[in-house]
Amino acid sequence: MRPLDGVRALDLTVAVAGPVAAHLLSDLGADVIRIDPPFARPAAHLDIAPVAGDAPPGAAERPYDRIVSYNDLHRGKRGITLDLSQPGGRDAALRLAAACDVVLENMSPRVLPSLGLGYEVLRAANPAVIVVSMPAFGLSGPWRDRVSFGPGIDAMSGLASLTGYPDRGPMNAANYFCDYNAGALAALATVTALRQRDRTGAGQHVELSMLEGEMQLIGDALIDAAMNSHVPQRAGSAHPSMSPHGVYPCAGEDRWIAIACEDDAQWRALCAAIAAPALTTDARYADVVSRVRNREEVDAVVAAWTRDRDASAAAEQLQAAGVGAAPVLDVASLFEDPQLRHRAWIQWVRHEDIGPAPHTSAAFTLSATAFRIARRAPRFGEHNDDVLRGLLGYDDAQMDALRAARVIAETPPPANG
Amino acid sequence: MLALEGVRVIDLAGGVAGGYCPRLLAGLGADVLKVERPRTGDVLRRTPPFAGAPSRETAAIHLHLNAGKRSITLDAATPTGASLLARLLARAGVLITGVKAPAPAGDPASLAARWPELIHVSVTPLGATGPRAAWRAPELIAFALSGYLSLNGDPDREPVKLYGSQAELQGGLHAALAVAVAIIARERGAPAQHADVSCAEAAGSLLSGALARHALMRRPQVRNGPRPAGFGPERLYPSTVRPCADGHVHVHCHNRFPDLLSVLMDAPRLAAPGVMDAPLGHADEIDALIDGWLATRTRGEAVAEAQELRIPMTEVLDPREVVADAAGHHAARGAFVRIAHPVAGDVLQPGAPLRPAASPWRVARAPLLGEHNAPVFSGDLGIAPRALARLAAAGVI
Repeated sequence: MRPLDGVRALDLTVAVAGPVAAHLLSDLGADVIRIDPPFARPAAHLDIAPVAGDAPPGAAERPYDRIVSYNDLHRGKRGITLDLSQPGGRDAALRLAAACDVVLENMSPRVLPSLGLGYEVLRAANPAVIVVSMPAFGLSGPWRDRVSFGPGIDAMSGLASLTGYPDRGPMNAANYFCDYNAGALAALATVTALRQRDRTGAGQHVELSMLEGEMQLIGDALIDAAMNSHVPQRAGSAHPSMSPHGVYPCAGEDRWIAIACEDDAQWRALCAAIAAPALTTDARYADVVSRVRNREEVDAVVAAWTRDRDASAAAEQLQAAGVGAAPVLDVASLFEDPQLRHRAWIQWVRHEDIGPAPHTSAAFTLSATAFRIARRAPRFGEHNDDVLRGLLGYDDAQMDALRAARVIAETPPPANG
Repeated sequence: MLALEGVRVIDLAGGVAGGYCPRLLAGLGADVLKVERPRTGDVLRRTPPFAGAPSRETAAIHLHLNAGKRSITLDAATPTGASLLARLLARAGVLITGVKAPAPAGDPASLAARWPELIHVSVTPLGATGPRAAWRAPELIAFALSGYLSLNGDPDREPVKLYGSQAELQGGLHAALAVAVAIIARERGAPAQHADVSCAEAAGSLLSGALARHALMRRPQVRNGPRPAGFGPERLYPSTVRPCADGHVHVHCHNRFPDLLSVLMDAPRLAAPGVMDAPLGHADEIDALIDGWLATRTRGEAVAEAQELRIPMTEVLDPREVVADAAGHHAARGAFVRIAHPVAGDVLQPGAPLRPAASPWRVARAPLLGEHNAPVFSGDLGIAPRALARLAAAGVI
């Protein structure tokens, strides 16, 4: 069994954070119904995979069903198209909300109310509904109506200003850090709200500001700023109380080893491992305070040893000596990594059009219930009949009317296809 | 009632990952009992910076991550300490352990045999099983093994970590999700279970589709400095940090209206078909156009003009500016809370990460080391105060 078996969620989200929250619920067993507009899928995300060798006929004509990021963000979900700006679309969405336990949304705060789908309306349709709203800056405050995606929030939280090389400017986290953080927080909020509803029978509106979610991750720096008016310099991968602590070059192109020497005992073990016992009696490196002060010299000593070595072999050697070290795994090497393979962390899910797709699994294994990606992402409008007829009981005439008005569609408009 | 009301958590983990998980649970209403080593306590108590004068009660990360918990001290390596811990576990619903879990919380199988009703969540750098489970893996090492570190930094330099302990914080967040999942499953009829959380795998979730792009498109993602390298990157530029008159801003093209930037900056070249179709290939040219526009504008001016056109531009703020909150946004929302602390004074710290309307985030300060020894050991377990004093003198608590 999966832990959220029997839970149904309506996914009205956009961009990344909301879809991540919804796919986590799906991976945990919820029946997630994704609503997309009956227009083109987002043009900026044109990472379109080639057609698989054994793909069914027609796959080549449907690039919008081969978007790799869409397949990753919406794996496990059922998908329908619905134009929420038309009365028939709004009406169907409202009926779906009434049939769901959870509604997830992360649009700018004025969007859903302007569509006539604000929290109060949803609650009127379904008094026990749990609505999770994940706006960038929250549902109130002067920045409420600002627009931003996750990377722009890295800038405002303070994270970007603290991150990066000491000799360079502020640096954003790669990919969609803020979004994935908010997505996991929203999944946590949803599951705990479901637990609360199990006991009280009452739903609720959960608000999650992506900005506030990210501010949690630099809480120490924010307290330092508030209490001491102090801001640390950007320090790259250096650590205030460990040395050596950093990323060092290894043999080969773009190969690196991370080393984190936690205390003096590990330093002595490191010196023995790199056959430099004389260093342990060198006053410049005698204790962690000296090594932090002479960080650049320490790093040079370590790099001189790592430079011609294989990253994995060097890391194994240091770990055997009791020193924290690891090869910096790139994306390709994750597939071969023995630890991740042992834990079955990469889940492959068949997709007829593009071939088997690898997804990251949960960061945890559960001993009695499963986290499992049940299926590929839906094709364009794939479950329109399944959901609107099967769940809401629409008949032929209603379906025909929705299609005629292009409230729903199974292909994007030709111009955008 | 609060979302996790009635859930009693024994927190043996400590550290960042093991601290953030129960901190989230406490905010959602769980009763979290933090078990610390006598005299020294959680490693977070010794981690700079401090709020004011350094002491074991004033470390900023302790005040932040241990907020809302109760603290007892207990040396589980002593027979009496182990027996006290066992009595606490018999009354608990959830146990959180880290790398070195003391007996009797040592291994999942014996825990499950002795306390079949207890949910056990272990939060470790690389997971509790597998060939590298025993590796020493503080933050940087777990980050390196997640794959995500390789994507951060300039292409011609070494990969660079993010500020702080982001792999461990993601581990803590996913551990909290695992606890919540195990609780709801338990209450819906599944057995109590062991959740085995890996910080490296939590950080690996940040790869956001890079695995699939690699496997399906033969397009290995490598780090790309301040330029993005996520979904369809050649179609998504700018999304970058650029300098302006008084600092930096983050400039993003709009998903639906990439040509709005050309309107904002009065730079038709930005909307030229060749540029719009493959913006990343024109990144140097785009940066130069943006920099020219930004050079005469402060962050506030640039962001105001951009947001008026619904272009997602934002200011790069440092923590002091975040706290100063010139716009009054955080004040209006109560994003920071001021919590009275007997040693640190009034501490301004981040408040709720999420706001369930029917389960107001529980705001409370971090506990003093062993602050709750008397109510827990005497009140809950019925140990006489004189016996408690003897245990303290012997270093058991």
